[in-house]
Amino acid sequence: MKTLAASTAISTSKFLTGFTAIVLGLTIVLGLGFLQDANNTLHNAVHDGRHSAAFPCH
Amino acid sequence: MADFRKLVAISLLAGILAGLLLSVLQHYQTLPLILAAEQFETPSAEHVHDWQPMDGWQRNGFTWLFNGLTGFGFALLISASMYWRDQRDYLPGLGWGLAGYLVFFVAPSLGLPPELPGTDSAELHSRQAWWLFTAASTAMGLFGLVLTKQRGLQIGGACLLALPQLVGAPHPEVAHALAPEALQQHFVLLTAMNNAIFWLALGALSGRLLRKVTFQ
Ligand SMILES: [Zn+2]
Repeated sequence: MKTLAASTAISTSKFLTGFTAIVLGLTIVLGLGFLQDANNTLHNAVHDGRHSAAFPCH
Repeated sequence: MADFRKLVAISLLAGILAGLLLSVLQHYQTLPLILAAEQFETPSAEHVHDWQPMDGWQRNGFTWLFNGLTGFGFALLISASMYWRDQRDYLPGLGWGLAGYLVFFVAPSLGLPPELPGTDSAELHSRQAWWLFTAASTAMGLFGLVLTKQRGLQIGGACLLALPQLVGAPHPEVAHALAPEALQQHFVLLTAMNNAIFWLALGALSGRLLRKVTFQ
């Protein structure tokens, strides 16, 4: 029987490459979806996009 | 590093293309509903001096940009996952697209449906916290349920899928919306459909583009 560890074993460099891509992806998505700025400039720019993607907006 | 650049290039292209598709769908379907709902709103005095994009190309342009950039970000998650698992082609890509739709749209929407402007909601930070918790729990739950072979992990995954829905999303004590209920329902339906198309296109494109490159 294959164990979970054996079936998903990948090299360190491959792990880090994918991990970096995921951190970058999450930073972009969560930044655009969640950041609130004091004078609402960012919020007003992305407002329609957030509402259309089911992000809590305001 | 060479592999990372390839993932970024693939994700950028897939994100822009799927984002364009979503923008066109929204332009004809949901944005008119948002504009219609705004007719029921009276702007609050404190916010009236803040900068806002002008209605028309400027306002739409920011939404198109938002769709392309979030598409890029979401595509990075898909292509990195497929890279880890040595998957390529559009069929496994569709599977990841479906997973993304469930994690980032369906699960959060079960508690906090997409809202038209002018809908009263619970305090923003509590909703954002529930949204994040739900996406994370659903992602881990799907992983346990679908990608592991061990009974215990699969049961744990099913529990993680159910957990945020059992906890429940924060809601205001008295719900009140300015736009008519029919408009809101129409908006939820169209948004669910548009985002499904967006996610499936994003997954299929990412998977197909992965076939074009060889990794080290
Ligand atoms: Zn908003």
